Amino acid sequence: MGILSLLLWTPLVGGVVLALLPVQTPWKIRLLSNSFAIITLLWALVSLAYFETQNPLMQLTEHWVINAELGNTYALGVDGFSLPMVLLGSLLMCIAMQASAYISHGLKTYFASMLFLEFGMLGVFLTQDWIMFYIFWELTLIPLFFLIDRWGGARRHAASLNFVLYTIGGSLFMMASLFALGEFVPHMGGSLMTTFAEAAKMMPPEEQLLVLIGFLIGFGVKLPIFPIHGWLPLVHVEAPFPVSVLLSGILLKMGAYGLLRVVSMLPQAVLSVQAVLVGLALFSMLYGGLLAWRQSDLKAMVAYSSISHMGVVLLGILTFNVTGMMGAILQMTAHGLTAGALFLLLGWLYKRTGTLNIQDYSSLAPVIPRFAALMTIALLAAMGLPGTLNFVAELHAIIGGFERWGAWMVFFSFSILVSAAYAIRTLGLLFTGPVKPRMQGLKDLSRSEFLMGSVLMLLIVVLGFMPSKLMDLSEVTIKHSVAALATATAASAQGE
Amino acid sequence: MEYLVSGILGLPLLAAAWVGIRQLFGQVQGDQSEVMTAWAVILATLVSTLLCVGLAIWPAAEYPIVTLGTWLNSELFVVPLSFYTGGLNMHIAAVFAVIMLSMMRFAVNYLHREAGFHRFFFILSLFAAAILMLLLSATMIGTFIGWELAGVCSYLLVAYAYNSAVPVFNATRIFITNRIGDVAFLLGIGLSFSYIGDVSWQALQQAAPELTVTDTTVLALCFAIAALVKSAQIPFTPWLARAMEGPTVSSAVFYGAVSVHAGVFLVIFLQALFTQSFLAMSVLLILGILTAGYSFWVGLTQTDVKSSYCFAISGQLGLMFAECGLGLWEVATWHMLLHALLRSYQMLHAPGFIQQVGELPQRSFLTTLGKVRWVYVVSLQRFWLDPIADWTIVHPALRLAKDLSYFDDHVIDSAMGIPAPAINALASLAQLEEQKIGANLDNELDNFARGSGLAGKLAELVALILHWVEDRLVLRGVTEDALSLGRQLGHIANRIEQLLLRPRYLSLFVFITLLAAF
Repeated sequence: MGILSLLLWTPLVGGVVLALLPVQTPWKIRLLSNSFAIITLLWALVSLAYFETQNPLMQLTEHWVINAELGNTYALGVDGFSLPMVLLGSLLMCIAMQASAYISHGLKTYFASMLFLEFGMLGVFLTQDWIMFYIFWELTLIPLFFLIDRWGGARRHAASLNFVLYTIGGSLFMMASLFALGEFVPHMGGSLMTTFAEAAKMMPPEEQLLVLIGFLIGFGVKLPIFPIHGWLPLVHVEAPFPVSVLLSGILLKMGAYGLLRVVSMLPQAVLSVQAVLVGLALFSMLYGGLLAWRQSDLKAMVAYSSISHMGVVLLGILTFNVTGMMGAILQMTAHGLTAGALFLLLGWLYKRTGTLNIQDYSSLAPVIPRFAALMTIALLAAMGLPGTLNFVAELHAIIGGFERWGAWMVFFSFSILVSAAYAIRTLGLLFTGPVKPRMQGLKDLSRSEFLMGSVLMLLIVVLGFMPSKLMDLSEVTIKHSVAALATATAASAQGE
Repeated sequence: MEYLVSGILGLPLLAAAWVGIRQLFGQVQGDQSEVMTAWAVILATLVSTLLCVGLAIWPAAEYPIVTLGTWLNSELFVVPLSFYTGGLNMHIAAVFAVIMLSMMRFAVNYLHREAGFHRFFFILSLFAAAILMLLLSATMIGTFIGWELAGVCSYLLVAYAYNSAVPVFNATRIFITNRIGDVAFLLGIGLSFSYIGDVSWQALQQAAPELTVTDTTVLALCFAIAALVKSAQIPFTPWLARAMEGPTVSSAVFYGAVSVHAGVFLVIFLQALFTQSFLAMSVLLILGILTAGYSFWVGLTQTDVKSSYCFAISGQLGLMFAECGLGLWEVATWHMLLHALLRSYQMLHAPGFIQQVGELPQRSFLTTLGKVRWVYVVSLQRFWLDPIADWTIVHPALRLAKDLSYFDDHVIDSAMGIPAPAINALASLAQLEEQKIGANLDNELDNFARGSGLAGKLAELVALILHWVEDRLVLRGVTEDALSLGRQLGHIANRIEQLLLRPRYLSLFVFITLLAAF
């Protein structure tokens, strides 16, 4: 039993134990579930300790054939793409669990669902087998559906249904693509990602393109890319805020991560539609940014800003160079931390005031200074201020983009400008202005809340000043992958 | 002298009109008005009864038909206003008129200060006119008018307590059942016009021996069905049990004495036609015997006096039909008249009978038969005739109507552009609900996102356009419209499924094919 197996199965065991044990006292349930989440985080840290940054290949691998006839394998492994996500995911899960202390009804179901969700989410990042990937991918939907539908806001039923329908609709295309790829796998070849990558090379280019489109729809829904992001605003607004933290913090990254894997599998196809995809990425950035600027609901604003920021990830992936890819990976982490922190803070604010309309707020800084401090850092990070990880990420992405497309990056700059506009405006409206009697006498963040927020903010700032450690994690993998992409594209260019 | 027949029909009609008009103008209040109403109706009926009896004893002329005028004249199709002034019809009319007169007198006390006193007398008077018309008219059309009017009066009196649901439902059910007989009657009229070119009874009776067997059989069956429905024979018997809702007097007049015998009268009257057709005679005989057996069987388990009488009546009627079927016309005639007299007394006496019997223990009849469970159950359930009718006719017809209504609403109305206001009002509520799907983007945003300067205004404009795209296309376009489209498709699929699963169109198709084949 390897470290990764322990990491993967701990939350599931936790969920099952929680579901089966006859524990009814709220604090016991919270303690139990929190300890499982923390154990999971510890396992993630252990795997980080064992991770060799100089090795470009899959590490800590485990391999175990489940079904020889069908060819699916229980294969786990981490590399520079997935390890940051595993760490981010288990960290955010710990924080979301802590922040769920306010949940008062259906505790057991809630925490068990959270643990099952973590199991599915870790599975997506750890598995090296496409069939298992698909299973884990769908597995995240079930707990999410219940979490949103049962503990969400006023329109939670519409939101959960919307979310599940969108995601299933997308993943059907992904499944079709996987089937199509499977046709080219030799008999008994299995469904390992490496096998599929080999199989993809056998594929005629036009079929590769169709397969890519299937994957793009599947992952694009999660990412999200412009026309298929319809579920996101509603779900983010209606989900209970710890779930929003997870959704924007880590579950959106599943889409980006899947896309990374697909891009390295089908490079020629990506190159052939690169212009369209870059156009979509840039448009998503501006689109999300401008719509975020229009929102007076704070949660909706953060939701739309997510679309904008995930556009950066897509752009970075598409650059096919080390700088741009690095930008994408860093942006995934940075956005996970920032958006998670923002949803966390807004959830706490909402609990205190019962409104998320920014026009109701004014002059909060003297009333709740701890909150103001954390919110200011988070919003400044969201606009990509130097000194935060977001700045490093966006800088890499924009440099990578310049290398590739040059002046087109002016739209990237515009979107950064727009994000600065809404971040600064939000800061101004929240913390300055005339004193409103209704907003006086609010309770500041409690010590534990402040601690949770501080962890995220510290990570953003520390990594913003010293990003090299984080970059080391992924650098070799990215270099390896970019080199592979270069040879593949060169080979296809020669072939033509 | 023979023109007196117009008085026989006209006087009750006039009395009914007088009562109706007084009621319409609100001039009926207090006991005094009851007396006036009652006297008007009774006097009119008395005169008309005396006329009937007189004409029955001293027939006015050797040729007993008098023509008062022409009702319709459309080249070949001529309907004269002609009546019998003697013969069998007048005799039966005399007996029935006497019965109705005594019933009316009874009702004056029975319904004293009852809500609907005037209404009751209005209907009863109208009914008297109708039944005399039925009996005396020398044309099929006239008889049919009386036949139909009697049906309407029956409907009105069963629904006498029109503010409670059960009587109204029963009345409607009876009326609809009777329409089956009406259809057969009308078909008979049409066929006889096409066969012999005349709608007078006399022409039919005279022409009957010369018609082919098929023609006489079809004609006889048409009138037989009309008679069987009116006289509550199998399979139409259940309506009679529903008819016991009205006041006792009306039950006695309609279902004890007069109205139910109209069917038997029609058959006896058309004996010239029926004797020509062996099949029609056999149908009468078989259905008559079946009804008699059925009524006996079901009557065994009836626990209230009205229901017992009801099944006794249908049983006796069944015997009369059987007698007709055997060709014992004379017996059937006497049977009918005596039964009418006896039954009218018995029905009127029913409430008093209960009081006299009181709490005395009742002697059960045929107890050994009652111990056989299936016999008992079948009797209690009245052979399930009502549910069978529901499942074979009523429900398919209702569903067919629903389909047609759907077609009307969704195809015809939408093609014609006629709005369906109520539905639309509901739909706009639903739309309001559905608008809530998708992020709430409509709240004062246009005042909120303001930019200044050229770049700011530009950003504002672009954001506005993007907002429209997001709201209309991405949020509502994909989710809401896709959902409603899916829902519509689901509805259509459901509908097709229902149509395929239900045999009503298949049976309708078979029915039409059969009709076309004949």
